[in-house]
Amino acid sequence: MTSASFAVALRGVQKSFPLGRGGLLEALNVAEWALPAGRSTILTGPSGSGKTTLLNLIAGVSVPDAGTITVGDTDIVTLPEGRRDVFRARHIGYVFQTFNLLSAFTALENVMLAMMFASTIAKREQRRRAAEILVRLGLGGRLSHKPQHLSRGEQQRVAIARALANHPPLVLADEPCASLDADTAREVLAEFLTVCREDGATLLMVSHDEAALGAGDQVVDVTGINRRSHRVSAGERG
Amino acid sequence: MTVLAVAVKYLRGRFVPSGLTVLSVALGVTLLVASLLLTRSIREGFIEGTTDYGLVVGAKGSPTQLVLNVVFRMDLPTPNIVYSTYRRLLDDARVEVAVPVALGDAYQGFRYVATTGAYFAASPWRRRVFVISGGRFFQDDALEQPTYEAVLGAEAARRTGLRVGDRFYEGEEQAEYPLTVVGILRPSGGADDRTIFFSLPTYWQMNEVSRKMKIKPLTAILVRAKRMSDLPGLHRGLNVATETQAVFPSAVLLDIFNLLSAAEEVLTAILATVAFIVLLYLFVSLYSATLERKREIATMRALGARRSTILAIVLWESCALATLGGAAGILGGHGAAHLATSWLASRGGLVTNRFPFSTLEPMALGAVILLGALAGLLPAVLAYRTEVAENLAPLS
Repeated sequence: MTSASFAVALRGVQKSFPLGRGGLLEALNVAEWALPAGRSTILTGPSGSGKTTLLNLIAGVSVPDAGTITVGDTDIVTLPEGRRDVFRARHIGYVFQTFNLLSAFTALENVMLAMMFASTIAKREQRRRAAEILVRLGLGGRLSHKPQHLSRGEQQRVAIARALANHPPLVLADEPCASLDADTAREVLAEFLTVCREDGATLLMVSHDEAALGAGDQVVDVTGINRRSHRVSAGERG
Repeated sequence: MTVLAVAVKYLRGRFVPSGLTVLSVALGVTLLVASLLLTRSIREGFIEGTTDYGLVVGAKGSPTQLVLNVVFRMDLPTPNIVYSTYRRLLDDARVEVAVPVALGDAYQGFRYVATTGAYFAASPWRRRVFVISGGRFFQDDALEQPTYEAVLGAEAARRTGLRVGDRFYEGEEQAEYPLTVVGILRPSGGADDRTIFFSLPTYWQMNEVSRKMKIKPLTAILVRAKRMSDLPGLHRGLNVATETQAVFPSAVLLDIFNLLSAAEEVLTAILATVAFIVLLYLFVSLYSATLERKREIATMRALGARRSTILAIVLWESCALATLGGAAGILGGHGAAHLATSWLASRGGLVTNRFPFSTLEPMALGAVILLGALAGLLPAVLAYRTEVAENLAPLS
């Protein structure tokens, strides 16, 4: 798979969540949607419209009830869980709204951890590569700092470095700047988009930030692709 | 970065809880190891005291009292037998060694034992070795010319403060017959450490009753037969006599071990409970750690960690805690056993003080690690089954 040819395609994807009394809440119903390769797509939509569910399905951390999700040439839905984990580690970077850095590890080790799971970079190379990407994001002086000793902006930069550590063709970000103040958010976002572009990665980012909406190559409102019924199944009615 | 390095990082990240868990495992293992070593040490202490001689000959009475008193300096002294019994045994062709022993009063609580040089003689068949740390052994003096020379056991010398050349006596009636210290024994870990030895003529002269007796008294005779097959005959002959009884110390030893085994069963039950509590503590520690970091586990899974990797991290953590605690516990157990045996020996306990490391220790460590892994299994499965999406939801 090369980043130039990379794309995400969803066909007939449905996802529901169980409710009490055996009922089901339909969260996502996407007939067909494709993500252009090598471009930045900003996903918007009201709260509860299925943005995070969509990201989790594309990342393969959740499995749809129906449909296919193709990342590059790989149908990740049909992959056995273990192979899907390896695929995710090697081909998908994930940036969370709350950074989700591991508190026992330094900035450098947080980035190396992603490399360990992918197992594509030799162990002796991991340290050098992790330091390289952190320096690139302006964290050269913070390599041995633990998350609790970093500012929020620095923490999110480390999270971005971790997501990009294995040079993934696809990067998913769930409101990466929502926990930052406006100035820091703008700064971090600009660096994030720059690094993704330089690496030729396809970016799908959930955001409501005005600056982000203007910085992406395209903006997609999730309500336009999610045709869910907004109804619960018979179990609830009964 | 490796799975083991991640596990170690997590342990270091929770330094205080991890340290306390290691400490609890170490204390539990220390208790187990020290108890096992001490039990073995006490058994060996009894065996060492009784296996040099095949028979103990004394006056009619309780066989256990005879052995406990003569060999271990416990219990009340048995009545006397006559010296001629010893002479007869010396002349018996079936007897290889006969050692006369007379137990008398005590100095500052340290029992007087009168005997001959044969008591201390080195021999290939002897388990117990007597070595002088200072001075010399007393002389086997003539009946008419007692020398009043005394050799002190190590603990007796230490506690009384007597040194070679010092003269001493207990009570005004003994002032006429002061003993002179001519030698001090090295510690042997038995009742002899708390004993003051001197010759039989010295004893007979010091004792007012025996001084007047024409036929001198003894408390017992330690006998070693030339052949094992001679023992039953000797035993029978001495028991048929109206004045004497002969006792197999090994038979008395079995009775003592039977008594000890009941205590050992209680101890085993207590130790099993301790082991269970320690494992429970390890389990609770890992379980709460896993619950605390479900979000971090979900994050690692989202980064591509396989379920088996997460399982391995938690198992490594439990194994590392068990390894550190187990190793510290084995060392601690040996240290505690050394201290306890020294303390017991100084108070007249029958113990040996040799705890060489053997294949038992690596096996014990392996067992601790295995049990640690078992304690970590459920937390590891909990981590293994952590759902990614629901644990990644943004914190409110």
